[in-house]
Amino acid sequence: MSTSPVIEVERLNLKYGDFHAVRDLSFQVRAGELYALLGTNGAGKTSTLETVEGHRTPTSGAVRVFGHSPRDRAAVRPRMGIMLQESGFSPDLTVRESVALIGRLTRRDDDVARVLGVVGLTGKAKTVVGQLSGGEKRRLDFATAVYGAPELIFLDEPTTGLDIQSRDDLWQAVDRLREDGSTVVLTTHYLEEAQQRADRIGLMHQGVFHREGTVAELTRTLPAVITFTLPGAAPALPLPGVAGAGGVVRIETFQLQKDLHLLLAWAQDHAVELSDLSAGATRLDDVFRAIES
Amino acid sequence: MLTIARSELVQIFRNRLVLVTSFVMPIAVSAFFVYRHEIFAQLGSLGYIAAVVLFTVGAFGLYTSTVTTLASRRQNLFLKRLRSTAVSDAGILAGLVAPATVLSLVQVSGILIVFGLVAGRPDNVGLLILAVLATMAMMIGLALATAGVTNSPEHAQVTTLPVSLGVIAVASWVGITGTENLELVKRLLPGGAATELMLNAWNGGVALSDSLILLAPTLAWVVVAVTFAVRMFRWEPRR
Repeated sequence: MSTSPVIEVERLNLKYGDFHAVRDLSFQVRAGELYALLGTNGAGKTSTLETVEGHRTPTSGAVRVFGHSPRDRAAVRPRMGIMLQESGFSPDLTVRESVALIGRLTRRDDDVARVLGVVGLTGKAKTVVGQLSGGEKRRLDFATAVYGAPELIFLDEPTTGLDIQSRDDLWQAVDRLREDGSTVVLTTHYLEEAQQRADRIGLMHQGVFHREGTVAELTRTLPAVITFTLPGAAPALPLPGVAGAGGVVRIETFQLQKDLHLLLAWAQDHAVELSDLSAGATRLDDVFRAIES
Repeated sequence: MLTIARSELVQIFRNRLVLVTSFVMPIAVSAFFVYRHEIFAQLGSLGYIAAVVLFTVGAFGLYTSTVTTLASRRQNLFLKRLRSTAVSDAGILAGLVAPATVLSLVQVSGILIVFGLVAGRPDNVGLLILAVLATMAMMIGLALATAGVTNSPEHAQVTTLPVSLGVIAVASWVGITGTENLELVKRLLPGGAATELMLNAWNGGVALSDSLILLAPTLAWVVVAVTFAVRMFRWEPRR
């Protein structure tokens, strides 16, 4: 993966009337990486994404894509594919015509039949878009984004409305594009997708970045949690924990493996049964909840 | 632009409702005027019939269909999709407007040629062409402006009425009563000067310099409409 930035955002501000949607946002996306822009509802991630795509004009600040303004369509659009959050196709055109039209207008070369094969729409090539299901429209949207294997791909909620098989197929296609060097910018509400695939994540809340980094960097800021239920007459625990109703104990730790081992050894030594024992590393969901609270 | 225009043409011919309301109906109405031209010529003049034909096609075949198309393409986010490509905003609009413009020009040309064969040729064909082109430019400008305040294709059925009925009414008023009275008012109304230009081009009897000056109000309407469109046109639906 190259470290040269494909996207540079510096002190971006977006205002809609009196509403300040994005405040002083700065980040970079490096060539070849999958960067996930995540956030709570109304955090400003779609506004940010659409500004980077060139659909919106910043109130202030600078955005550069491949060293150009993203509004310089002739310079940047042949190198970037955009999967919008909502479809935006003419209901009277067929699937084949829609992909060919957008492909030609983005000035990238590809074979329409090949792209339809990648997204599993070969059998729908002659169907007009108005007759497609929601999931099929999302796949059509993805097809136009990856037509010509662009260097930079924006995926805005790409798997919303897709069944599991279609999601898997989409991520396989993204993986192949990344192997060929494409950079991907992703927004999604499915945090497990970002956790599994993102090289780096920017977490937005109320228009600002709360945290940015790799999954490991983000999750290590919060403790892992061990929970279990103790019987009534148990000896003192080897670790500081919080006892709740019904004897449920919650232990927070930044050294999960070591403390879990210590706890299990203690239980073994004192012949204590730890009912409903559960231990899990910190997940992105936990980081999200911490931000929201 | 040509790619978008070709795609737009395909969509027009696949949508029977658009085809009937924007292209079949104006031709039918115009055919009626041509067929009963002796009656309408007594009411106004042969130039009046030519002007009414021009404004009927311009109002329904071009103006209304363009507003409806732009509102529809905006509502289903097709405009946003097109802006995700390498084509400029001007190229997108030109591509979307071109098919209806060309079809309208073909309609007007065809009907006026038939009208000329049936009722006698116009006095000044060059001036007639100028009047047709200026009127079409005005209708496109008004369509872009109206599209800015039109939220949906259904809304277009309401927002297009004032201009489409208005220009036909002005054409009839000027065509039947002439401009001896209320000359300034009639010339400044949208379509008024263009109608007078059509009358002069078809009927003759007016000095060319006196006719050419009538282009100014029509082109002024183009400027006003485009200025309004630049301020009001939206590429995405209101949220």
